[in-house]
Amino acid sequence: MSPDFFQKLFFSNPIDATKVLLISCLFMTGFATAQNDTLVKGGKLSEVIVTGQFNPQSVDKSVFQVKVISRADIDRQAGNNLADLLNQTLNISVMPNASTGKSGVQLFGLDAQYFKILVDNVPLINDEDLGSDTDLTQINLDDIQQIEIVEGAMGVEYGANAVSGIINIITKKKARHTWEITPFIQEETIGEEYNGVSEGRHIQSIRIAHNFSDKWTGNAMFTYNDFDGYHDGLQGRNHYLNDSLRGYRWLPKQQLHAKAFVGYNPNEKHRFFYRFEYFNELTHWYNPIVDPRYDAPTDTYDELAQDRDFETNRMVHLINASGTFSSGLTYDFYASYQQQERNARIYNYYFRRDTEEDLSDDVYESRKVYYSKATVSNFLDSEWIDFQLGYEVNTIRGYASMFAYEFIGEPIERNLGTYDFFGSTEMKFGKKFTVRPGVRGLFSSQFNTQVAVSLSGLYDVGNGYELRAIIGTCPRLPDYEELYSYFVDVNHNVQGNPDLKPEQGVSAFLHLNKVFKKEKGFELETKLSAWYIDVQDRIELIQTQFSPPTFRFANIDLYRTIGSSLTGSAKTGNWLLNAGVTYGGIAKVLNSSEIKNDDFLYSVNVNGNLSYTIPKWKTTFSAFGKYNGPQYQFVQQYDENQQVILVRGKLSDYTMIDATVRKTFAKDKLEVTLGARNLADVTTLNTTAVNGSAHTAAPSSQLLGYGRSYFLKILYRFNFG
Amino acid sequence: MKQKLHLLFTTVVFALVILGCASEDPVPAQPFVAAFEKTSYKYSDIPDSQEMFVVFSETATANGTVTIGITSEEASYGVDFKTTPEAPSLTFTLPIIAGQDKTSFLFQNLIFPFDSDQKVVTFQILSIDYARETNIQGYTTSVVSFEESLGGVSEPHIGGPNQGNQIYVDLSSETTTEVFRESWDLGFYCGDDFRVGLNGSLYMAAKKLDATNIDAVTQASVSQYFNQVAIGTFDPANMDYVDDPTGAISGTAIDAISVNDADNHVYLVNLGYTVGTTTPVPGSVAIAGNPRGWKKIRVLRQGDQYILQYANLNSTSHQEVVIEKDAAYNFRFFSFNTNNTVSVEPMKDQWDLNFTVFTNEIAGSGSYGYSDFVLNNLKGGAKAYEVSTSFSSYADFSVANIDESLFQNDQRVIGADWRDVFSGTVYTNRFYVLKDPNGIYYKIRMLGFLNTDGVRGYPKFEYALLQ
Repeated sequence: MSPDFFQKLFFSNPIDATKVLLISCLFMTGFATAQNDTLVKGGKLSEVIVTGQFNPQSVDKSVFQVKVISRADIDRQAGNNLADLLNQTLNISVMPNASTGKSGVQLFGLDAQYFKILVDNVPLINDEDLGSDTDLTQINLDDIQQIEIVEGAMGVEYGANAVSGIINIITKKKARHTWEITPFIQEETIGEEYNGVSEGRHIQSIRIAHNFSDKWTGNAMFTYNDFDGYHDGLQGRNHYLNDSLRGYRWLPKQQLHAKAFVGYNPNEKHRFFYRFEYFNELTHWYNPIVDPRYDAPTDTYDELAQDRDFETNRMVHLINASGTFSSGLTYDFYASYQQQERNARIYNYYFRRDTEEDLSDDVYESRKVYYSKATVSNFLDSEWIDFQLGYEVNTIRGYASMFAYEFIGEPIERNLGTYDFFGSTEMKFGKKFTVRPGVRGLFSSQFNTQVAVSLSGLYDVGNGYELRAIIGTCPRLPDYEELYSYFVDVNHNVQGNPDLKPEQGVSAFLHLNKVFKKEKGFELETKLSAWYIDVQDRIELIQTQFSPPTFRFANIDLYRTIGSSLTGSAKTGNWLLNAGVTYGGIAKVLNSSEIKNDDFLYSVNVNGNLSYTIPKWKTTFSAFGKYNGPQYQFVQQYDENQQVILVRGKLSDYTMIDATVRKTFAKDKLEVTLGARNLADVTTLNTTAVNGSAHTAAPSSQLLGYGRSYFLKILYRFNFG
Repeated sequence: MKQKLHLLFTTVVFALVILGCASEDPVPAQPFVAAFEKTSYKYSDIPDSQEMFVVFSETATANGTVTIGITSEEASYGVDFKTTPEAPSLTFTLPIIAGQDKTSFLFQNLIFPFDSDQKVVTFQILSIDYARETNIQGYTTSVVSFEESLGGVSEPHIGGPNQGNQIYVDLSSETTTEVFRESWDLGFYCGDDFRVGLNGSLYMAAKKLDATNIDAVTQASVSQYFNQVAIGTFDPANMDYVDDPTGAISGTAIDAISVNDADNHVYLVNLGYTVGTTTPVPGSVAIAGNPRGWKKIRVLRQGDQYILQYANLNSTSHQEVVIEKDAAYNFRFFSFNTNNTVSVEPMKDQWDLNFTVFTNEIAGSGSYGYSDFVLNNLKGGAKAYEVSTSFSSYADFSVANIDESLFQNDQRVIGADWRDVFSGTVYTNRFYVLKDPNGIYYKIRMLGFLNTDGVRGYPKFEYALLQ
């Protein structure tokens, strides 16, 4: 089902969406009657979490330090995808890519290949991998209960590629009412661009939840997200002159999310659910190069541009069974089939005739995954010691054509099977001290057997102090480009290396928490953390021969990051405040480079958000800010004698500020959120932290956003029973 | 207060909707044009009849007509020539038919053999009658005469993204000669000098060895040079192993052949690469196929003839051929595949441009393989220079603008700098003036090098006589 089809289903044309919006606004005035003094719930300081736990439990009992982003946090920010949301999180930096529309993410300076995105404990597929390398803009937030983030190597719990951490998205599974029908629309400006039809972002969504009986529950949701692109001075699709002004700075794209869930809880002991997800994304690339096709005999032009539509399709099936046997043994079983593929339609657009002529329409990258995982625990039914044993297996069938990577000579089709077994034990020494060692063996069809180990501890110091330490290891498996690149001709020689070993990540984290609880609703929680992450055998493209130049991927470099952070959250009355500061350093040992400097380069991150509720108005004001200090990196440049030297390149600092006002009407049934993103109007960052390459000069600025934009979200809850 | 708040919300929504209603500019319309496909035809090429096409600027969506007038010198209608449809009144009308993108008429020569080479017949578009705006522009006349070509559009068939062909183009006679790149290896110069050139379109390279006894050279004695004697090694010194890309005969990789045999060394020859056979992604090329291996050669003189000795590297004996010069040509060509001389270039005064893969130089990085290259026939006397459109537009440039001092002593005037491989477009801010071996001047502009599928290896250019 195409997004177009869905849009037609909802609104016969985009103008109708605007009409609905306007009518809704006019109705708003009618709802200004009864108002009850209920508090908009702020962030709870003690949430129940599942990530890395034998059984769901409260966050303060967890041996791991788990950061929770609650539904209330998500609603206050009203981001339209995971990238928007994580943009405000400490230690995570989101770097959107204007030309692909994807979002590059770094956690502790390591990119998305080094951490995993999970949905309900199961890694989520994407074009290139399972769990890692996920594009955050392809994950919407509408069915999310909460997001749990664990920093540091989680190889034992979640397998390969969980080097810098994991992000576990927990979906909504319960409905409070027999029927809950929740439609919403959201209109956004893209920077200063908006006209309701062909400029801006337009989101229409509906979520339906129903309790069939006290044992059966289900929900379904559709969200259509139409992003019209950002011109930023470019002239859009119809610009027929070959002056590099055609197209968009940020590519237009449409996303459709469809999800369904069925839960069956026959009794207190066992729970089952099935979840389905379909995702479709269509991104339009308009070639800035226009071929004038001058016809000399008639002295006329028949301009054409070779444009591309990129389409992504994702499908996820997941079954879960969990519960407790009469012996007390608890189990948790997952089976999943997921697939994602990306295809490119290349076509000629003829301006004068306004016609498209297809040249090719091919899948160029795909992954198909069979996955299963199960854990059993509580063997001894003891309060002091518990074991968990489990397996996690998957086979990934991957395909990539020349179109996917610059340096692939011919299409690659490979099966990769990984078969992991893991076990851990949680031991309590008295009431204050918990230790959890764990180990996982990773067997694979491609790589030598890998081992991940971890040792975590929680010590309740007393007086509200808790101390946590987590030491863990995790391998990162090489990707297709690193393994299989092949681009050899008379002037070039770039080759992948099928003998690459997985990279080895090691991390150690120390967290000290202190909760202050004063009388009359004042709460303050602070956390001081320190960490060290080390990635060995890092894979780099190295030059193995100078003349003729020959490049090959090899396990050669080393990456280290250290840092510490202090965060706090406070709640009193109608105020809610979260703030944090992190100071971290990154060092790279580039053995691949003749000249190198492995000094630590430090940067600072500060974030904070503040929210204030006026109960009488049923209105919450929220502001979110994150300061990303300047980031440094050693880059190669040429001095006046044409000698290569290392200089400290700098990526400028910037501040992202978002603000929202949320008001509810008609007994909280109608909810209106008005907000602004990127209030500081950051669009590009100056950078000197990029190496030039053989064919391209180093850029001097990096696109970050499309500037200050505004949005309005109108949501209505039809609840029955 | 409540009311005010709601008013504020509503106002903001309205503001958002109305904000910036900029819509994209539509593409402006062009008039419908009917024009001649070619500006000139050679009378002597038409013993009987010639179909002459009138092309449309777009596929017609409605019916219409185009009216053509005839004027002539030293030739009269019905005696020397006639047309179909007939035009005793010296005008005739052709139909524009919906769904078609051209129409045609027949020019019939009634006098053969010719009684005079002074005959000139000129056809001219007089009017176009079509359902929407029309204009008479472009090739509005077409001439049948005994003179050289007035110009036109040419699409040398270099063979798509593998660029397997070298195309020799003669502008004045509108002829092209197609040669498979792999059909020859060495060119023996036919001018005063005794020089031997390499087939740079295969990325060949040659290194002078100390030996003068070809049979004494073995693979073991030369394999140390294999990495150097190649192009694209990014070592500036590798220019010694290839011919001077300017086309100067004095700069061949192989030294001048001496009358004194003892001065003629054995050369290690890298035969370069076969023509590629893979299909690259649109916009890219696949020029080089497999390495063609190595040979050892030695060239001697025997009076005005060349003697070529050649063998595989490990052979202890060699083959020998005698190659005679032919003054009508720049070179005589030899192929190791056929062990014989082969026909490649047209006679030296009968070609102006060569579209070919080429071994060029990147300053500071040495030799580098180029595709889509265009050479002018410098050795045959065809010289060229580049004109910037900031000096004159292509259309306005006339014979009066020619500056003789600007003609270059280099065969790479058009070279590769006419196109941008990254964007797939041709630079429109330049064109070229060429003086052919017979002293005839043409202006040339490049129009493209991709087909409509975006595939490389489909060059197209327009040229016009300057007189």
